Amino acid sequence: MDQRNFTYMFYGLAAVWAVLAIYVLTLVSRESRLSKQLNGLERMLSEKETRKG
Amino acid sequence: MFFRHSLAVAMKDLRSEFRTKESLNAAFAFAAMILVLFSFVVDVGDSEILYSMSGGVLWMTFLFSGALILNRSFAREQPNDCLDALLASPLSGSALWLGKALANFVMLLAVELFALPLFGALYNLTWTRSLGWLAVVLVLGAWGIAVVGTMFSALTVNLRLRELMLPTLIYPMLIPLLMGAIRLTTILISGQPITGDDWIWFRLLVGFDIIFTSLALLLVEVVLLG
Amino acid sequence: MREKILYALGLAGALLLLRNLYVILLQLPDESAQGAIYRIIFFHVPSWFTCFTGFFVAGVSSILYLVKKKPVYDTFAVATVEVGLVFTIIGLITGMIWARIIWGIWWTWDARLTWAFITCLIYAGYLMLRGAIDEATARARYAAVLCIFAFTSVVITFKAIEWWRTQHPGPVLSIRTRGGNMDPAMESMLYLNWLALMLISAVLTAVRMNQEGVLRQVEGLRRQVHASS
Repeated sequence: MDQRNFTYMFYGLAAVWAVLAIYVLTLVSRESRLSKQLNGLERMLSEKETRKG
Repeated sequence: MFFRHSLAVAMKDLRSEFRTKESLNAAFAFAAMILVLFSFVVDVGDSEILYSMSGGVLWMTFLFSGALILNRSFAREQPNDCLDALLASPLSGSALWLGKALANFVMLLAVELFALPLFGALYNLTWTRSLGWLAVVLVLGAWGIAVVGTMFSALTVNLRLRELMLPTLIYPMLIPLLMGAIRLTTILISGQPITGDDWIWFRLLVGFDIIFTSLALLLVEVVLLG
Repeated sequence: MREKILYALGLAGALLLLRNLYVILLQLPDESAQGAIYRIIFFHVPSWFTCFTGFFVAGVSSILYLVKKKPVYDTFAVATVEVGLVFTIIGLITGMIWARIIWGIWWTWDARLTWAFITCLIYAGYLMLRGAIDEATARARYAAVLCIFAFTSVVITFKAIEWWRTQHPGPVLSIRTRGGNMDPAMESMLYLNWLALMLISAVLTAVRMNQEGVLRQVEGLRRQVHASS
């Protein structure tokens, strides 16, 4: 078969990995965003506690 | 008892709607506007093309102007916390939903009855050639839109961006119904009989109505009462 | 312990995928009519199976949430939907690349493709709906209802190739055709790759569930901060 057939097969397989990689990256960025938020909120709460106490 | 309750809700909705006509008038005006806009999309000189696009044009019109009606369905109860009062009454959640679906169904039919002759007149089409079946398709389609629309109207009533979320959620949900309705309406307006392969669209229409009506009746209590 | 299991699952999935890739690329011969491009089927079909499985599990989990009202079912549903959506997109893209060669076009509006696209839109709407509701129990309740409604579209997508004459190829697996359409070696490779993708999606789902838990925690803390100020 011709060259194009072969190239597109690789595009197809690459697309699978690309989409998966993009999803993993979004998961990672969400992870860091959430942990940042969590830390910030916890700090805020403990500051308030100390001010009250 | 159940049906009497739903009928009462439906009558209440219709009466308050006909008193103010706020969403019906908007829906009529919007439907007319869409029909005008479609004249730029289609080649209005070619009646062959017009017939082949008639189903699509009509159902897009019903769908877009229907969204105005569906948006108001539960939002109507928001001022003065009417929804909470309705839920506190002996009315069951599914009876409330069925009543609202009935009211929306009637209003959607009104929009269809308004837009169909207008469409025929504006685009010079004879749409009356198989009126009986056309009426059946219109009724089945309107009921499907009313069922899904009322359900999601209840779901989105308290959201930010309610007006945006409702169409984004219901349009893809309604596509099976729309595909069937568009195909059948095109055939019927062109004056052909429904044959062989096209009966599957009819069965799809009926199946859609049955499945989503029962799903909604099952699940609506959860949405309204929690 | 839980993390170790996840690592093991992920590793098993990755190794299986590598081994499958080796077989697919170097051992299985080209298909007689389509040439090399047919190998896309080994990712196309399994990723659709993975997403159907995910959406099915999400639907069951949503029903369980509505019955039992335990937050964990909601967490499970959102994680499986999101991972399922990733595989939906993979399925759509691989299908389009295959179609470009075989049909000469990227897309055609036949019943199978149309419904696959609709399914993608509906589940994207599910995630949007979740984003629009702040209150956790209302969000879980509404999302569960939508998830059950949405599953009808998955069923139609799955059955579309039997109900309509589509440009999309008809069923090839022997469980649906009762045998004879496909070389057994290729068919077993489809299942093996499905297994690999399922392992990977299990890991992704677990990670996503964890994040949903953190999100709940963040929301709870935020309420606490508001209440105390």
